[in-house]
Parts: sequence; C-alpha cells; structure tokens
Amino acid sequence: MRAYRIAYLGNDGEVAMGLESALKDDGLQFLSAAGDYQGMEKAVSFKADVVLWDKDNLPPEAPFPLEQIRKSGLANQSIVAVVRNDDLEGAVKSLAGGASDFIYKPLKEDPLPRVIAALNTGQKQRRVDWCNRVIEDTNDQVKGILATLTDPAYIVSPEYQILWMNRAAEEIFGEGQRGGACHHIFYDRTEPCEVCAKNKGAARWRATLKNGKSYRFISAVIRNSKGEVEKLAVGTDITPDQEVSKIHKTFIANVSHDLRTPLAAIDQYVNILLDGLGGELNEDQANYVDVIRRSSFRLHNLIENLIDANKILSGDYKLKMEVVSIQDILDVVLGRLESQAADKGIMMQVQVADGLPAVYADKSRIAQVVANLAGNSLKFTEQGMMQIRAGFMPRDEGRVIVSVEDTGIGVPKEDLGKIFDLFYRVEKDKVYVEEGAGLGLSISREIIRAHGGTLWAESMEGMGSAFHFSIPAYKGQAPLR
Amino acid sequence: MIGGERLSDGEGQQLILVADDDKDLVLALSIRLRAAGYGVIAAHDGDEAYEMASANKPDLIILDVRMPAGGGFSSIDRMKHSLNTRNIPVIFLTAFDDEEMREQGRKLGAVGFFRKPFDDSEFMEAIAGVLAKA
Repeated sequence: MRAYRIAYLGNDGEVAMGLESALKDDGLQFLSAAGDYQGMEKAVSFKADVVLWDKDNLPPEAPFPLEQIRKSGLANQSIVAVVRNDDLEGAVKSLAGGASDFIYKPLKEDPLPRVIAALNTGQKQRRVDWCNRVIEDTNDQVKGILATLTDPAYIVSPEYQILWMNRAAEEIFGEGQRGGACHHIFYDRTEPCEVCAKNKGAARWRATLKNGKSYRFISAVIRNSKGEVEKLAVGTDITPDQEVSKIHKTFIANVSHDLRTPLAAIDQYVNILLDGLGGELNEDQANYVDVIRRSSFRLHNLIENLIDANKILSGDYKLKMEVVSIQDILDVVLGRLESQAADKGIMMQVQVADGLPAVYADKSRIAQVVANLAGNSLKFTEQGMMQIRAGFMPRDEGRVIVSVEDTGIGVPKEDLGKIFDLFYRVEKDKVYVEEGAGLGLSISREIIRAHGGTLWAESMEGMGSAFHFSIPAYKGQAPLR
Repeated sequence: MIGGERLSDGEGQQLILVADDDKDLVLALSIRLRAAGYGVIAAHDGDEAYEMASANKPDLIILDVRMPAGGGFSSIDRMKHSLNTRNIPVIFLTAFDDEEMREQGRKLGAVGFFRKPFDDSEFMEAIAGVLAKA
C-alpha cells in the first residue's frame, strides 16, 4: 500500500523538523517546502495527500489562501493550517477560510491524530467528488445512448418538469418544451397522470402519443450529481404494423371460417340422428352419437376461445365501454356460476359493498373475466366454498376491487409467477388435472389491463387461492387508457 | 344430386332455397327443413343461387357468404336489383364472425344472419318467423 504523503508549506524550520521526525516515525512520507507558489508546485509533484499551510507565510491580516492553493493543483487535498499557539483568531479565520483543521506551533502534541483526521476528510471529499463525476459521466453516457434512439426518451423532475428529451421525443412533442409539465405537454392533462402520482419509483405504462402511435413506457429513478432524484422514461413503439395486422386478421378470419364449417355439418348430422330423422337409434347408438355431440361441443368451445384469445392478445378487439354497476356485471354470470357450484356441491357467496361506485367498462368483457376466475376456482376446488367480493380498493377510493377466493388446491409458490403466462396449465403429479387450453388468465389480465386496471393472485398451496382485479371507478369522465 | 331439383313436391308448401358450397351441409339442412314441412331447392355457387331464385321464386333464401362464382353478397345484390326476386327474404348463414360482414349483409337487405355452427331451434324459429311475415 502506498504511504500517505504530508507536505508542510512554510518557512519555520523548527516546525518542519518536528513534523518530519513525528510523521516519519509513523511511516508517512514528508515534504517540507517554501510557503509560496513554488512550494505548492513541489507539493503537487510530491502528490501530497494533506497540506499543512503555515499561516505565517502571509501577513496576519491576509485571508486564508484556499483558492490559490486549490488552483496550484492541490484540488482535493485537506489543508491544515499551522498557527501560532497564541493566535486563536488566526485559527478561527483559517477554518472559516476553508482549512479542514489547524495545529498549533511550536508543536507540543503529536500531530499524527490531526493529520489522520485530515486524511479522512480529504478522502471523503475525494470519494464524493469521484462519485459525482461517475454520476455525471454515466448520465452523459446514458443521454448519449438515448439521444440516438428512434423511440422517445425523456427525463423529468419529481415536480413533473421536463428536464431533457431526446430527438425522437422532440419530433413528437416539439422542440423547446424543456421546463414544461410533462403531463400537460405529453397528454394535455392539467393534473399529473395516475401512473406517476401513484409510483414514485420505477413504473410501466402504455400510452398513445400525439403522433397517433402506441408506446410501452418503462421509467426508472436516476440521481443527478447534486443528489437530486429524476425520472427517466423510455418508450417502445408497439403500434401494430398495419400491413402485418391486415394479413394476420385475414388469416385468422379464414382459419376460423374453415374450422367452423365442418363443425356445422357435424352438428347438423348429429342432431338429425338424435332427432330420429335418420331412423330410430337404439340406446347404444344414441349414446355413441351423444359422445360425438359432446366432443363437437368441446371442440367448438375450444376454437371459439382460441379465436377470442387471439383477438384479445393481438389487441384486435374493441371494448364497448359504458357506465355500469359491478352488480350488473356480476348478474351476467352469476346464474351460470351458481348452477356450476351447486353441481359440484360447493358453497358460493357473493358480496357487493354498499355504495360502491359504478365503473366505466365493457360489461361483457369484465363478466368474462369474472367467469374465468370463478370458473377456475370451481375447477380446482373439490370441497368448501368460493366467494366473490366487490368493494373499495383499500387506501384508494378511486378504484373498485373484485376478488374471487376459494378453498381449493391453491397454486404452488413457484408457479404463482407463471399462472398468467399463455398456455400455463395446472399440473399435478405431471398429469393435467383438468381440460383447458391455458388461455383464461392471460386473456383476463389483458382485458383488465385494457380497462386501466390490474389483476393479481395470492395463493397457499392446499389452502386456496384468491384472485383480485381492480379497475378505476367512474368519475364522470372516461379515464386515460 | 340435389342441385337444381325440387326436393319436395308437396302442394301448398313454402319453398326454401338453400345456397351453400358445402354439399354435406345443404343435404343436412334439406333433411331438417323437409322434416319441418318445407319444400327445399338447392344451389352451390353464387350464379346458381341467383338463377334458381329467379326461376323458382322461393319464399325464403338461405345464403352462404363465401361460395364460388360470386359469393352470397354479390348474389343478394343481384336479387335485390331484379323485380323477380327483390322481395324474397334472405337469411345469411356463414362461418365468418365479422361485425362488418353482418352490417354489410343488413345493408344489402338480408333479414337475418346466422353463424355456423348454429343452434338448430333458433335457426328454425327464425325461418318460421320470416315465413310467417311473408
């Protein structure tokens, strides 16, 4: 390890000798030089860590020469003043002028502790300076990278003030917007957007910008060299390619058409047979035909679900938004769910909180989500109960939360993060326990997301599961999607 | 087999033209409709559907959308522009599920739109309803 270097700049031979013998004994390197510019230069080439500046180098009334010392190249070192032991005023003035400490001369006590303290102060300052330089360099590099992106990126202050935008963002929002409020300039809103008001830290959101394109944004908190927190947001263009969308849409329409066509014929002939239009069937024959009917029905459902999933997951669908109460939404599916629960001998409870506000939603799509969640609950619950509850979101009266809870098999902890993945299916002992394509939860999450809401799950294996979604309550205007 | 010929020769029967390129489905529908007491004639492409409608003046036409030689939309367009056939009610029966298509069918003058596979009883009720008005 390098030995620390201490430089005395002054003309007091006695002090120089005293310091030299004391510090060298302790393994430090020592330089004594004149208390002038030449001395300072010597201290620079000596690479001094601490500079001891003799106050007698200058007339008593002269201010402490911090600036001169710094300019000479001793930019970060701790400067310790050496003052006469009867010059308390000189000591105070030195500290006020920027010295990190002082020692009295002639030396009476061991200077080492004061020198070490000064070393620490100097190192701390150097570390802070270094960190700030790294932060500044990194920020510059990040900005340099972001500047070349073809997608928009910007930095805002915690007060929602635009601090920086890249070229792509300027092309969308115009130049010279620095200093303006982001929610106003980006979205013509008078108040900060919900996503920022709610998330002080990193966040994700989607937005349609003034150029008509859709973007997925990710934001992160960064710190500038002054220690101030800023938010960096980077968008990714997720606008579907019109030509590809058109091909995709036509392809799906044709495939669905060709899958449904033979199903129609199967259905017709099955019904002709079951209705006896092709002659009377004996009991066995009727049973066999009924198997065809049920299989065809399952196939039909599977095809329709796949087509629906494709529409939703590719964003090729329109929500029919209306102001509707949660009770009205639940009424769409409760009858069917009640009979399913009754068939399985599972108790079903429904609770809707008093005074719950309406929501602005696509009634049948939200009902589809409830049916999906409750259908899963019933599928994976052999005994006990299922509960559907609707109420106010805790700590957020602007949102309504709907929960579907059961006493079923639950979801293993390691799978809880995967259940919303496309084609995820519950496997038990490596055997699929129930039929299903593994589409329901992905579709549900997408529908809730399109409503500006969130869908999440909690579960304890063997104890049951709880699925919750929250969507904004209706406040008299359509929410930002 | 079925194309062009009258599948029922009873007197006073209401006559339905079924136009679909899926011959299996046409046969199934004609069995079902005959069992319900209707007369059935069949066509398997767009041109044939128009010609059969002009020649036989059925009481109702069940029309597929996608067929060779002019699909259902071009057939209905021609029928609605011909004095002979303009008043015959048309019900579309297609495996497409497209709101725009449904709207186009309505604009062209169809009185119903069913998607394959379809519910038998709803379908038969719709037919009875349309024929009762005629």
